[in-house]
Amino acid sequence: MSDFFWIHGHLGWGWFAVLVFTGLWWLLSDFIWRLKNIRIQRLAMVMSAGWIIGIAIILLLSLVGSLH
Amino acid sequence: MTVLVVQVVILAALVAALTLWFVCYPHPSPLVRRWLPERKRWPETQIRGWLKHGRFHSAFVHHFYRDPERQPPAGTSMLAPADGLVTSADVRAGTRYLVIALSLWDMHVQRSPLCGKVQSVQSHGEDFMDGEGREFAFLRDKPCPVQTRVVIASQTVEVAVRLITSLAARRIETWVNEGDDILRGQRIGRILLGSTVVLELPASANLLVKVGDRVLAGETPVADGVHSS
Repeated sequence: MSDFFWIHGHLGWGWFAVLVFTGLWWLLSDFIWRLKNIRIQRLAMVMSAGWIIGIAIILLLSLVGSLH
Repeated sequence: MTVLVVQVVILAALVAALTLWFVCYPHPSPLVRRWLPERKRWPETQIRGWLKHGRFHSAFVHHFYRDPERQPPAGTSMLAPADGLVTSADVRAGTRYLVIALSLWDMHVQRSPLCGKVQSVQSHGEDFMDGEGREFAFLRDKPCPVQTRVVIASQTVEVAVRLITSLAARRIETWVNEGDDILRGQRIGRILLGSTVVLELPASANLLVKVGDRVLAGETPVADGVHSS
């Protein structure tokens, strides 16, 4: 799991993916909020769920990668 | 090392995008503005803020000054003099007043409803107010909003177009003069920022639009039953 944060002189791909995904997801949430007439609570719920799923996939892939 | 540099560059770009978002909030970041509809691209609160300080975003100014070509439909119907929302079409003393409210995002060039000759171009009024189209404020004698009234006569009918200012709109440009021959759909002037345009026409004219309709200057037929070209 230590490979997650730092590996061979650069950021671990897992950590890097989490940072990039989180930043882009935030910007995407803002864009959808502006584009669609959607209640903020509903949007927050959907985007939070999407973020959790995304992070879970990244963690899973990191775990699978570290096993090989 | 190369990988680290690439990662840092990507993260720096992301941080720049998030910083831009934070600085612009609650208004949209320039990165997403182009994909938003115009009302959300420049929210009203943002435009009101610009009005207060007298400084405008250059992209908004460019959008505001747009002057697209319009193709008048065939026929003799009278055309809408402005882009906007029809908010009233009441009759008073034998004249129907078709009130068109322009929003801050509407195209602001006004066009002639019919083919004819400009009879007069008169400016009057001394007030800047909001809701200038409501309760016929534009017809009041002295405290009426600043406006320009362009009277156009064809061979059979005379109509007038009032270009009315508001608190936000403080300037009117007219591009026609008394005695000019004018074509149906020809540009007659521009109000700077959202306001109201009123078309005065004979009460006997058959109205083709109703309150709540959106109309386009020089394209939407608003009345017929009077010979206009």
